Amino acid sequence: MSLLVVRSLAKSLARRVLLAIDDLNLSAGKSYVLTGENGSGKSTLLRLLAGIEAPDGGSGCFEGRPFGWKPYPDWLRRQLTYVHQQPYLFHSSIADNIAYGLRARGVARGERERLVDDALSWARLRHLLDTPPARLSGGEKQRLALARAWVLRPKLLLLDEPTANLDADSRQQTIELLRTFGSSGTTAVIACHDRDVIELPDMQRLDLVGGRIVQ
Amino acid sequence: MGLVDATQAALLLLVSGDAELWGTVGVSLSVTLRAMLIAMPLGIAAGYLLATNDFPGRRLLIIVTQGLLASPTVVVGLILYLLLSRQGIFGELQLLFTQTAMVIGQVLIALPVLVAFSLSAIQGADPRARETALALGAGAPRIAWTLLLEVRFALMAAVCSAFGRIVSEIGCALMVGGNIAGVTRNMPTAIALETSKGDFAQGIALGIVLLLVALGINSAFAFFQGESRR
Repeated sequence: MSLLVVRSLAKSLARRVLLAIDDLNLSAGKSYVLTGENGSGKSTLLRLLAGIEAPDGGSGCFEGRPFGWKPYPDWLRRQLTYVHQQPYLFHSSIADNIAYGLRARGVARGERERLVDDALSWARLRHLLDTPPARLSGGEKQRLALARAWVLRPKLLLLDEPTANLDADSRQQTIELLRTFGSSGTTAVIACHDRDVIELPDMQRLDLVGGRIVQ
Repeated sequence: MGLVDATQAALLLLVSGDAELWGTVGVSLSVTLRAMLIAMPLGIAAGYLLATNDFPGRRLLIIVTQGLLASPTVVVGLILYLLLSRQGIFGELQLLFTQTAMVIGQVLIALPVLVAFSLSAIQGADPRARETALALGAGAPRIAWTLLLEVRFALMAAVCSAFGRIVSEIGCALMVGGNIAGVTRNMPTAIALETSKGDFAQGIALGIVLLLVALGINSAFAFFQGESRR
């Protein structure tokens, strides 16, 4: 079953084509890894799908419901989430960071606290609860960003190079979280060069060359 | 009276709780705090809108705001005087020589400082802050609130800077307040008056209070600036 279908998605900057995708069809519950050289359009595609940037043109359909980018619909924004290569953590507590998207969705306080508690356990961050986010290591920051996304149970998860710049241990922990995230039924699109991520079971590869999907 | 004697008399006035002196301090702080309460939300909101929106005339507005940072307070006072005087377009409101007129004047002086500093603080925020809020499903009001919280120390520095500028300004307060004892006489206007009368003790005592207020504000400004760079 299709989760997201995108057609004629294009983005250029100063006459340079950043992205030109004729047709992209993402199935529900599947995981995709976006590969390609630097500048091939991986991050641009993720940012367009997340509604952070607007394309020059294109149309989409999410679970059969058509949408456009101008403006990007709020209902779609609530169905997916995006995590930066270097995640930004708000200058508040770890629990507040995880609760942010739940607050934006109007989740009641009791339910929010329960979900945050689950996310802390899932990402193994409970022992760091009193640590300011700015003092976390790179791996811990990545786990917090994943927990902040996981707690929302998004139908579509967009990740930009989640294992880049991490040490071996942090990388393994992040890959383990990606594996459990994938098994929860979420469709994931992961821009990545990491072979261990590319070779995760049931991972479908989408290769981008010059802004076009060739595989 | 020599400087030493005058200083001793000033300290005595301060510790004895001289009603006139502390009344003047009260007028000063009351007017400035009311002005800040009005100017803060307006200035920060205007800074946010300028920082996050593109519209025709935006660049001109930024240039004008930055130009107004250096506007002489006495000129602001003069313009306000002309507007509020009996022949002015707001003359019927009979606001001239009232604390309300002083508050309006201080709001006008504080606004460019708040707008320019807020603009700079919000423009300097990490772009990922807004993108992350957006990606997590926040609507426009929550994104705005989040961004302001993320740059809160820089905004506090803006508030301190505006407070420091208006609490010590004399030109506008003198012109639209009229320096009426117990009503519109604030610290800067009282210092000027008492000194011109030769009552150095009162002037020095008020000067010490004003200096301590300015020192406190500047220390807070330095603290918040330091925190915002961490």
